[in-house]
Amino acid sequence: MRILLVEDDPDLGPAIAKALRQEQCVVDLIADGVDAAHLGDTERYDAAVLDLGMPGKDGVTILTEWRAAGRTLPVLILTARDGWSDKVAGFRAGADDFLTKPFRIEELTMRLRALVRRAAGHAATRIVCGPLVFEAQTGQFELDGLPLRLTALEWRVLSALMLAKEAVIERLDLLERVYQGDADVGSNSLEVIIGRLRKKIGATLIETVRGRGYRLTAGAAT
Amino acid sequence: MLALSALATIVALVIAGALIAGVLGRFVTQGIDRRLDANLALMASAVSRNGDIDWQRLATVQASLDAEPGWRWRLDAPGRAIGSADTLVIDPGPAESRRSSPFPPDREHPGSAGPPHADDHGARPLEGHDRAGAPIHARQTTMVTGTGPVVLTAAAPRDVIARPVMSALTPLLATLAALGTVLGLAAWLQIRLGLRPIRRLRAVIEQVRRGEADAIDTDQPVELRALAEELNALVHDNDMALATARASAANLAHALKTPVATLALELAGDPRAGQVDRIDATIRHHLARARAQVASTRVATPLAPAIDVLIATIATLRSDRAITIGATVSPALIVGIDPADLDELVGNLIDNAVRHARTHVHIVAQPTDRRVALTIVDDGPGIPAAERDNATAPGVRLDERTDGHGFGLAIARDLTELHGGVLTLADGVDGGLAVSVTLPLARRH
Repeated sequence: MRILLVEDDPDLGPAIAKALRQEQCVVDLIADGVDAAHLGDTERYDAAVLDLGMPGKDGVTILTEWRAAGRTLPVLILTARDGWSDKVAGFRAGADDFLTKPFRIEELTMRLRALVRRAAGHAATRIVCGPLVFEAQTGQFELDGLPLRLTALEWRVLSALMLAKEAVIERLDLLERVYQGDADVGSNSLEVIIGRLRKKIGATLIETVRGRGYRLTAGAAT
Repeated sequence: MLALSALATIVALVIAGALIAGVLGRFVTQGIDRRLDANLALMASAVSRNGDIDWQRLATVQASLDAEPGWRWRLDAPGRAIGSADTLVIDPGPAESRRSSPFPPDREHPGSAGPPHADDHGARPLEGHDRAGAPIHARQTTMVTGTGPVVLTAAAPRDVIARPVMSALTPLLATLAALGTVLGLAAWLQIRLGLRPIRRLRAVIEQVRRGEADAIDTDQPVELRALAEELNALVHDNDMALATARASAANLAHALKTPVATLALELAGDPRAGQVDRIDATIRHHLARARAQVASTRVATPLAPAIDVLIATIATLRSDRAITIGATVSPALIVGIDPADLDELVGNLIDNAVRHARTHVHIVAQPTDRRVALTIVDDGPGIPAAERDNATAPGVRLDERTDGHGFGLAIARDLTELHGGVLTLADGVDGGLAVSVTLPLARRH
């Protein structure tokens, strides 16, 4: 998952980013409202975590502008303001979820996974593709009913493909969802990861769409 | 105060009466004195320079001297005395009164012309009584003659002075008494009428305090207009202070919660994380209480839209719970609670119900006379009757990370009681809980 994290607190922002990265998310941490609004407009994220009190531009304004511009990016508001009026105002502005500080990282991860899953059009938490089963809330993969062991990078690629099931993910999108910033790609190039995944789940499930990207499909497997 | 002013009026009237009686008495006495002095002059005209009495002359003037009953005269010459039948007992007049002579100045100079030969001291007033004991007023003068001093005395009954004074004073006192009564009534009426705008102002202030009016009408008598404007300014300042207090509470929450959130993340999995949870619970508890203690009542908030948006919000927040939330709330209901307080109160109750329900939650609003009973029913495990009193006690289950019924219910109860309502717990559907709060209906303006 590629997450836009908008949080101006110099301690909390990096702490959340670190925790989310441990949960296999790719996180862009932004501490300024204007920059955040711009990134949300131009980059492709799976979800945004938005603090309400921001320098430059406050969270509700950013959200209102995104929604007015037709951006469907799932947004979770993360705020210290825990009054019901604040929550109502957040939802009115177009928020998809609301979490008050302090919170547990597990809860934030769960809520983000649910947001991304629903945004991808999956109502159920269990996503099936041929012999492959993905528990979207816990992040567990099963192949033919047995747990599938994956490295972090493999998991990032396969979960993105699973959520986008049957749809093509462009190569660039996939890269952005897999690599955190200036991470050393080196021997772990996307092609290498795809190759390793094909060895684990069978060569036919991941289809290369020439000139565009990849897609996960059960059609070829059956 | 009215009694005091009445007493003052009475005292003033009594003093006025006494003063007028004194002045009248002096006037009447002066008149009588002039007549007595005239009698003295008549008597003097019957005394010759050498002290002989002109009997013929005396007989002529005697008719004048005895003209009125009770009037007396007396002539004491050396060796003989003549006068009215009864003897007079004369007190010696006060020393200073000898100086004040009622005679016009020219009468005091016998050398000019004319018969009376009064001495330089002139006539002096005397008080005494006759044989029967009736008080008399007398004038006395001494003539110096060749044979010695001749003392002339003319007297009139004191009664002659007192009677006209009394007859003049009686209608005067009656008039004064009537005047006093009218003045008292006028004062009473003036106070009542004068205080009427103040009573009206007091009633309007009470309406403002109870939330029935937003501000005091400044269309007041000139004297009260400034007061009404000042009161409006005070109400406005109060509102501002309330808003500031709320903003401060929210700012405090924000300021504290972000570092607490950082601590919570960094201590995840650490045994010390429990302390962070306690800090968070304490902040939440006290901030919610602070908010609940500054509720404003001078507002009108439509109930149905507030509940609808809360249901939508909570349904999204708790989408993992798959609970259906229904509501039966008349769109006509308007409650006298600040929108933020209403959100907090009802939001906590609905959220509580959704978290504990198995399949559905229902909200019903039932208007009564001046209140509306809002009931939130769930089909969850409920709270055993024996523990219900405990459930709304502040601090219950505060130590738990996922706060139970307690926290939300305690806040809802505080807010309800702040608006003069009560929160009651009863059995819901299939053993669930039914929470009922009575909210004030907004007054029509």
